[in-house]
Amino acid sequence: MSNSPLIRTSDLEKTYKTGSIETPALRGVDLELHEKEFTAVAGPSGSGKSTLLHLLGGLDRPTGGEIYLEGKAMSGLSKDQLAKLRLNHIGFVFQAYNLIPVLTVLENTAFVLELQGIVRSQRIERARRILGELGIEEYADQYPNRISGGQQQRVAVARAVVTEPSIVLADEPTANLDTATSLDLIDLMRRLNEEKGATFFFATHDNRLLDRVNRLVTLVDGRVARDEVRDSAPPP
Amino acid sequence: MKAAIRHLKRNKGRSLLTLLAVLIPVYTLVFMFGFASANLRDMFETATNIESGHFQVREIQERATGGTLQLIDDVAPVLGALDDTDGIAWRTIRLDVPALASAGARSETVYVQGVEPETVARITPIETLIVEGEYLTAGSNGAVIGVELAQTLDLTIGGEIILLGAHPEAAMGILKVPVVGIFDAPDASMGRSLIQVDLASARTLVRRPTAATAVVVMVEGVTGPWDVHKIDAVTADLSTRLPAGFEIADWRELAPMVLSYMNVMRPALMIMAATFFVLGALVVVNTLYLSVMERTRELGLIRALGSSRLRVMGMIMTEAGILAFAGAFYGALAGVAVILIVEAFGGVPLPARFAEVFRSLGLSGVIHLRAELGDVVLSAVAMAAVALFAALFPAWRAAQFEPVEAMRYVE
Repeated sequence: MSNSPLIRTSDLEKTYKTGSIETPALRGVDLELHEKEFTAVAGPSGSGKSTLLHLLGGLDRPTGGEIYLEGKAMSGLSKDQLAKLRLNHIGFVFQAYNLIPVLTVLENTAFVLELQGIVRSQRIERARRILGELGIEEYADQYPNRISGGQQQRVAVARAVVTEPSIVLADEPTANLDTATSLDLIDLMRRLNEEKGATFFFATHDNRLLDRVNRLVTLVDGRVARDEVRDSAPPP
Repeated sequence: MKAAIRHLKRNKGRSLLTLLAVLIPVYTLVFMFGFASANLRDMFETATNIESGHFQVREIQERATGGTLQLIDDVAPVLGALDDTDGIAWRTIRLDVPALASAGARSETVYVQGVEPETVARITPIETLIVEGEYLTAGSNGAVIGVELAQTLDLTIGGEIILLGAHPEAAMGILKVPVVGIFDAPDASMGRSLIQVDLASARTLVRRPTAATAVVVMVEGVTGPWDVHKIDAVTADLSTRLPAGFEIADWRELAPMVLSYMNVMRPALMIMAATFFVLGALVVVNTLYLSVMERTRELGLIRALGSSRLRVMGMIMTEAGILAFAGAFYGALAGVAVILIVEAFGGVPLPARFAEVFRSLGLSGVIHLRAELGDVVLSAVAMAAVALFAALFPAWRAAQFEPVEAMRYVE
C-alpha cells in the first residue's frame, strides 16, 4: 500500500436544500483511501454512504471541504472535466445494475472504452477478456433483460473494471441480490482486488459481507464514526 | 449509430410518429409543388405556344393604338438578326389584324392571326386542338376558328366567313374564306375571338403584300418559366444585333397572367411549406423530448460513466438524424411515386364545371403533376434540416442532465 492516498477528503460536507429546508448529509468527513484497498462503508440508512460515494466519484459536488484524487483537488473542475475524470479514473457499480438496455452485454462492457476513444477491435478484445475473467463471456451477445440480476451486476462490475480505473466505487451493489449471489459478487470483487490490484470502495448495510473486507468505515449521521482495518496484511 | 437504431426500434410507435412528422410534410410539399409546377408549365405552354412565343420582335410601338401592333413592312432585317443568334429553336412571322367577321346575318369582332402554317404547325397546339376539319396548310385559302366563334356565327366546316380588316395603319381589306377547321381553345375568350388564316391571306386584310406585326420566337431547351434565364440569354444576344426601331417583348410582358400566377403561387407555396415545417418541427420536438425524458435515468448513467455533454447531444441528434433523413427520403419517394402514377394515367380529369374555370385561366381541364428535381430535393432537405434543428432542444436538454439527479429521478 502506497503512503500517499489515492483519494483524500478534507472536512467534506454536503447539505441538500429543499426550499428553505437544509438537510445535512455529510458533516465534515476526513478520509483517506489507498491503492489496492478493499474498503466498505457501512452505516444506517441516511448516514451519508451514497452521498459520500457520489462526491468521491465526481457525480455531485460538495457544499464544503475538498476531495483530492491522486493529490489533485476536484473542486475546480468543470462538468466536462469531471466527466473525463470519471471516465479515466473511476469505475462505478450501481445498486440497480444500470446497464444500457439497447446494448448487449459485450457492448455494455465496451461502452466506456468507446467513450475513451479506443478503437473497436481493441475494445471488443478487452471487453471479451474481462467478461471471460468474470465468467460471463457466454452472455456476451445477450441483452441485459435476458440475464439474471446477478449476471447483470457482474456485467456492471466488468464495465467498471474494464478501463482499469484508479478506483471502483460501488453503491450497495448487492442490495437487489439474494444472499448466495451477493456473496458471489463480493468474492468476485475481492478476487479482482487481490489478483488485479483493483481498489474498491463500496457502500453496504449488509453485515454478511463485512467479514470479506479489509477495511470498514462506518458512517453515522454524516460523520465517520469508526474506521477499522480488519486485515493488516496488504492485499496480494 | 447501432445503438441509435436500437433505441428507435425499442419505441416503435414514437419513432414512427417522428418519422411521419417529417415524411408527411415532405410528401405533401412534393405533391403541392408538383401540382403548381405542372399548372405553371401548362399556363406557360399555352401562353407561349399559342399566343406570345417566348418572345416577339416587333417595331417600337410609337404609333400603336387600341392594343393593335404596328405594321412592319419589311421583316428581313429582323430575320437576319435572328439567323445570327444562337439558341433559337423556331421563329415565325405573324400578322395580327383586328377585323369584323361576318357570316350571313351574324357578325363578331375578332382578331385575325396571319401565320405561316408550315412553321407554326411544328409546335403550335392549335393544330392539336382541331376538333372538326383540319388545320391550315401553306398557301391554303381557309380559316380555322374556335368552337365558340363557330357557335356565335353559326358556322360549320365549309361555311364561308367574310373578314373586314380594320388595322388603324392600313386601308381596309376584305377576305372571304371558307372555314377549314374548328378548334377547341384552352381559353374560351380565345375561342370567341381568334381566327387563324395563312399569312398571305391575312396580308390582303391590310393590303400590304409584305406586312407583319411581329416575329414570334421560341428558344431552345425551355420547358417552363424556370428556364427564363435561357430566354434572357438569347434576348440579350439578339438585342445587340437588332436594327434600330425594333424591340423585344418577352413572355413576361406578353403573357402577364403566367407571371402573376408565378408571383402568387410561389409565396403561397412558401407559406404553406413554412406551416408544414413548423407543424413537423413541433411534433419532432415533442416526441423527441418525451423520448429524452423517458430515458432520463439511462442518459444520466451515460453521463455518470464519463460521457461528455456533446456526446450525449450527439446521441440524440443521431436518432433525430436517422428519422429526419429517412422521413425526408421516403416522403420524397412517396410524393414522386404518386406524381408518376398520376401522370402515367394521363392526369386527373376535372369535373366539367371546374374544368371550365381552369380553361378560362389558360389551363387544361386535367390536373397534371410534375416532379421537379429541385423542388423535391428542396422539400426533402429543408424538412430534414428543420427536423434536425427542432431536435437540438431535446438533445440540449438531454445533455444538461446532472448524473446523480438524473439517476435519482427514477429511483
